[in-house]
Amino acid sequence: MLLIRQVKEALEAEVLAGEEKLDCQAEQIYASDLMSDVLAFGQPNSLLLTGLATQQAVVSALMAEFVGVVFLRGKRPKDGCERFAGANGLVLLGSHLDMYEACVRIDSLQRGGELISAAASPEVRPEAHFLSRAFTVQGGDFVNAGLVSTEIKSLLKTIGFDPVLVRRVAIATYEGEMNVVMHAQRGTVQLAVDPRRILVTIEDQGQGIPDVELAMQEGYSTATEEMRAMGFGSGMGLPNMKKNADELEIVSEVGKGTTVRMTFLV
Amino acid sequence: MSTCTHEWQMANVRFGLIAFEKCFHCGSVRTYFSSEDSLPLGDEYREGDHFWSRVETAQSFRFDLQCTRCGLIEGFGELMGLMHCTGCLEDCPVEQQRRVLERQRTWLVVAFGFLPQALTSPLPERKLAVLTEFFNQRRDTSRSTIKVVPFNLIPDLSRCAGEFLHDVGMLSQEPPAERKPLFS
Amino acid sequence: MTTQDLIDKLQLKPLSTFEQREVKGVFISDMVSDVMANARSGDLWLTVQTHKSIVPAANLVDVAAVVITGGKEVPEETVQLASKFGIPILWAPMSTFALAGKLYELGLRTP
Repeated sequence: MLLIRQVKEALEAEVLAGEEKLDCQAEQIYASDLMSDVLAFGQPNSLLLTGLATQQAVVSALMAEFVGVVFLRGKRPKDGCERFAGANGLVLLGSHLDMYEACVRIDSLQRGGELISAAASPEVRPEAHFLSRAFTVQGGDFVNAGLVSTEIKSLLKTIGFDPVLVRRVAIATYEGEMNVVMHAQRGTVQLAVDPRRILVTIEDQGQGIPDVELAMQEGYSTATEEMRAMGFGSGMGLPNMKKNADELEIVSEVGKGTTVRMTFLV
Repeated sequence: MSTCTHEWQMANVRFGLIAFEKCFHCGSVRTYFSSEDSLPLGDEYREGDHFWSRVETAQSFRFDLQCTRCGLIEGFGELMGLMHCTGCLEDCPVEQQRRVLERQRTWLVVAFGFLPQALTSPLPERKLAVLTEFFNQRRDTSRSTIKVVPFNLIPDLSRCAGEFLHDVGMLSQEPPAERKPLFS
Repeated sequence: MTTQDLIDKLQLKPLSTFEQREVKGVFISDMVSDVMANARSGDLWLTVQTHKSIVPAANLVDVAAVVITGGKEVPEETVQLASKFGIPILWAPMSTFALAGKLYELGLRTP
């Protein structure tokens, strides 16, 4: 017998549905991603551990009369699932652990011993530490200008980076994004995060910068009157990028485009 | 520009379903990725000159590869999946390569793009090389290695009985039936 | 720890033909896609999936062995394909959850 609340704590899980059922007991643990097996072999009042984050997992657990489902590896079912589970009296938990780690921790709970971990070093959470995203920026699209940097900012905030660092990345990325909007046909912004650093690479197909050194000076601008009227183009923002990034690398070829690579140390 | 010896890791992993649709009037096949939980089979619908019907879905995933050293990302959005060659056709160039490679303890894997796009714009050689590099970095290459080849080598898809690396029977209580060739 | 150590200590039943191999960690999933994305070279892969599609996936990511848990019957074609690749298919009567606890006791950790 296991208290669901204990399982939740052992697995560092969050409650997705059925908060009021946390003090119920689970008679057994059933670890599987194969819903056909859950239906065929699962015992009533079991708790399902699974990496299959779909509506089918919730439905199968209900059919097999389980008390709840723990979704592992940071996977989460689609929105409507929580309401459906809650309305049918099923607890849903979400944990970042993998299946082996989850089984080992619950096994130690069941034996009443101290909580143990299968990780050789307890800091192994690769998926949270490595993140990469690519975004497209359309040249001349002033309406959507800034959306990419806004999204990057909120992503980094969610991960839990220091707010000062997040602000620096956001400002420098915004400057880069604006340069694409103002000077290029289109471009891409790539974000790559690892435990040591945040890397932002902005690549565009545009006119290129003839003299990078000159462009680095404050106030230098090639923005048109129209851009200035909209409040943009008081400079190329390169000095601002340099100020905020730990490392700044610019490679530009006239007539082809520019690649700006900014590194921020964590 | 890059002098980095890339060390690849999967990034942007998204789980979902690959759907196979067939037009029963002209016989064309098309495939796509969906992040829906389930896609019902059957229900024919019309689009232009075609009458598409979903004939098969397979649980699968999409990913990109990212270098853990320099952060470079190689997108693999156009990769539908990987196939294991079952050696079904004696005269198929994939099968011929497979036999030669297996003697050198190299396992061959066939990379598929989405149809019909991939028939005219195949996955670039460079990306297949990156994929090969990635799988070899993940294994003990003193025992054996992997080589990824393009599906465009297969002369006649309708006769191919290769096996996609995908999840079978995840959701049903029935034992999975023996599959027919996907493109026949 | 080698595949033979595990076979001896946990009374696993070998089904395919293979060479001995060092086992470095444990990966549990019944999804081929999950294994392709996350399993590591040298992992012991625990699953209740017995369809032959597990074999090319196990080979692609170089797991040390596949353990079919829950006493499930394994189709002959899965065993044959595994023998061709030299991948150990081991059979365990106990559930995935119970076996995970035993593997921990034997000292297998996540690298």
